[in-house]
Amino acid sequence: MSGSLVHNLVRRLAYAFISIVGVAALVFVLLRMVPGNPVATLLGEHADNETVERISSSLGLDQPLPVQFANYVLGALHGDFGESYTLGKPVSELIGPAFLNTLWLAIAAALVAWVVGIACGLLAAIRKGTVVDRLFMGFSLLGVSLPVFMVAMLLQYLFARYLHWLPVAGITDWTGYILPAIALGWGSAGSIARLVRSSVIEVLQQDYIDTARAKGRTNTQVLVLHALRNAMLPVITLMAMQFSGLLSGAVITETIFSINGIGRLSVQAIAGRDIPLLQGTTLLCTFVIVMGNLVADLLYNVCDPRVRKGA
Amino acid sequence: MTHSTLEVSHLYTSFFTEHGEVRAVQDVSLAVGRGQVVGIVGESGCGKSMVARSVMGLVRKPGKIVSGRILLKGRELTSLSEQELCTIRGRDISMVFQEPMTSLNPTMRVGRQVQEVVTIHEDVPKQEARRRALEALGAVGIPEVEARYDAYPHELSGGLRQRVMIAMAMVMRPRLLIADEPTTALDATVETQIIALIKQLAETGTSVLIISHNLGVIAQLADYVYVMYAGRVVERASVLDLFDHPLHPYTRGLLGAVSSLRGQSKTLQTIPGVVPNLAHLPAGCSFAPRCDRCVARCASEQPELVTVGSGHEVRCHLAKGADAV
Repeated sequence: MSGSLVHNLVRRLAYAFISIVGVAALVFVLLRMVPGNPVATLLGEHADNETVERISSSLGLDQPLPVQFANYVLGALHGDFGESYTLGKPVSELIGPAFLNTLWLAIAAALVAWVVGIACGLLAAIRKGTVVDRLFMGFSLLGVSLPVFMVAMLLQYLFARYLHWLPVAGITDWTGYILPAIALGWGSAGSIARLVRSSVIEVLQQDYIDTARAKGRTNTQVLVLHALRNAMLPVITLMAMQFSGLLSGAVITETIFSINGIGRLSVQAIAGRDIPLLQGTTLLCTFVIVMGNLVADLLYNVCDPRVRKGA
Repeated sequence: MTHSTLEVSHLYTSFFTEHGEVRAVQDVSLAVGRGQVVGIVGESGCGKSMVARSVMGLVRKPGKIVSGRILLKGRELTSLSEQELCTIRGRDISMVFQEPMTSLNPTMRVGRQVQEVVTIHEDVPKQEARRRALEALGAVGIPEVEARYDAYPHELSGGLRQRVMIAMAMVMRPRLLIADEPTTALDATVETQIIALIKQLAETGTSVLIISHNLGVIAQLADYVYVMYAGRVVERASVLDLFDHPLHPYTRGLLGAVSSLRGQSKTLQTIPGVVPNLAHLPAGCSFAPRCDRCVARCASEQPELVTVGSGHEVRCHLAKGADAV
């Protein structure tokens, strides 16, 4: 059994590597297909053609596309993602600290999403059809439907400007993460709550729940020992995939709360036509999402004995 | 006075749905003696499984026991709290369900699922619980129990899973085993093995209440049979009496459908029509709309169970007089 697990892992890692290289190539080509010359943008409108050509050649932009890509991949494998045009620093040095900030935000948001989502979903499921159920489901629908920027600004208004409990924006200590974590995590909490609810309700209808009750288990024991693990199977996959999403998609939240993370860095790179920096952030996000999906698959493998062998 | 293992009297179980009260079980009385195998037979939806669930205290909402008594060795079960019922389920009464494919927890090793029953009811060390689970699995004829103990349900065949279910039901040596269609999902050769296993259990003193729509299974296993139709017992008799002298037109119809399969008749006999809607039962006999011998009285008046011989009762207006036989 462990042999097939290792085999499975190697195969999935190979797929993951292919996905990452594929996305890197796509992003590389797309960024060069965008009309306009990044060097001209960089130098401003008064630069003469000669200077533009000189700088282009020093950046290697005059070489054929396949050569540029090969150089890029070779560099990337050594941890060299080139130098940012606008910030004048190696991309790897810029991405590192930004990723750390994003990571803290993602962890905080995931904590909100998982704790609130699972608790609400579970309570709604066992109190199906009651006021509690409707209240929690309404709350989660709100989380799923409200745009992040609106939630973010409402939170800022209520807790920072009106109540003065928490900072409006910027990270000085951990309290700075609270509002962005809620803004970012609410939507995920909503979808987790809905999935947990429907999954628990479905599992509680299963025959093996009757079996467990027929053994003499109390309702609480049946829920914890027999229903929960089975009900969590689809939820685990969602949670792992959401986490990689949180790590790569916090552009709006980071901008509103002035957090120097990957999302904000990407926005800066787009605005400045900073191709190496944008390639770096995109590659990182691809890596995170591919790895997130991989972890989701592996977790599912570990938790569900039925897929362990077949895959 | 010695008590039967199980005595059910005047049991009414209903479902309270948006469309009104659905009377799944109406005025059912039955008794199972020590070591006796009692069968309940009837079509799908006749309420036989609900009798089993009522006895187990496992009627799902919006269903509930409306009235009646359920005595296990003289102890009233219907008035017990959920907490008290939990100490009885699995220890004094246990149940084997119809679908061995879905009745086991898919993410728990089968041995653990058997062992669990022991640890729920007795404060024993893990090793002892494991030993008893292994013993129970061996007793139901599972080969290589040590290896199977750590298997997951999906790694076992349907027959083996049903054996696991029976091991689970028998590990505490309960007084009463309820088997709800235990062989319906299995193929014929496995069915024979499971029937032999249940028979063997009854010989060791366990009382068995077996529920089936399959008269063959009932004939092989049961000492005494209750025929149910639309929530009511329409006939009860010893298994020999029932097969030799069926009195209720419904019982005859059921037996006719089987004997025609055995080649005594060229055409397959069936009972025309379907089981009536339990929410809107006819005023008279609930079988009247499908009955070929129906008389005027049948449509207006609900027949009572009447004794027609020793231990033989039937719920039919025509059965009182000699014209019925």
